Amino acid sequence: MNEIVGVIIASIISWINFVVIDTYFGLPEAPGVKGAEIVGYSIKKRGGDLSGGFFQGNILCSPDASAGTLIASMGVMLLGFQGGLIATLIVYIGNRLCADPGYAGTTGALSATIIVTLGSYIGLTPLMFVAGMVIAITTIQGLDHSSSSKLLGSIAKRLNRKTKLK
Amino acid sequence: MIVNITEMYILLNYLIAIIVSITVALTLKLPLLPEEPRRFSWTTSALFPTPIITIGLLAIIYSINFFWICDGTVLAIIIAILSGLSVKYLFDYIFPKPNIGESNE
Repeated sequence: MNEIVGVIIASIISWINFVVIDTYFGLPEAPGVKGAEIVGYSIKKRGGDLSGGFFQGNILCSPDASAGTLIASMGVMLLGFQGGLIATLIVYIGNRLCADPGYAGTTGALSATIIVTLGSYIGLTPLMFVAGMVIAITTIQGLDHSSSSKLLGSIAKRLNRKTKLK
Repeated sequence: MIVNITEMYILLNYLIAIIVSITVALTLKLPLLPEEPRRFSWTTSALFPTPIITIGLLAIIYSINFFWICDGTVLAIIIAILSGLSVKYLFDYIFPKPNIGESNE
């Protein structure tokens, strides 16, 4: 497969994978640690959405499905399917060190391991997923916080994970 | 011992390890699932994180091409039993729960 097309497809798959899993496991609902709370209210102050802000704060403060997807892609790139499983354990340890129960991170890493392994059969290499995940996380954390937080907030609303905090 | 084992055997060994680890955890009276609301629960259970630790440790050992006897099945069972025991007796010592007052204030 053409490399550019592959990276675009991989980034779309990675984006959906980590946003859906993180939202399902309640990242927009509440800040896990103080840092996530500060990020959430700071984004709200700059015209963003509070649920999306908590989502961004939470993925910044602990390895959730975003980091899980990236590290699992790297693991599969280096050691194949088993590398993804090692990455899952590493993400889980990272979660616990960051005061996070670890459901989102490990689920994201496991699903990414399966997706990347299956993707290699249709020409999507793990390297494309690594690049794709970096692009996917840049669209959330690196371009414009207020608009990305509004998008994350609307996804949270659809999945019934909107925060009750004001 | 370096042995060439097919991927099918390796997947089967992971499956055996997951089943054994859940069985050991249930035998040690860990709950099957964390209590509600699950996504914010800190309770260690038979389904999470016991199989995660089992397959992670097994993957580390398999990835250095150490399979030992019976194409790695015995190793899978041993790791699964050790993981179940460690989740029950060692886990809170290695990964203590954070102080809720500190983390959620």
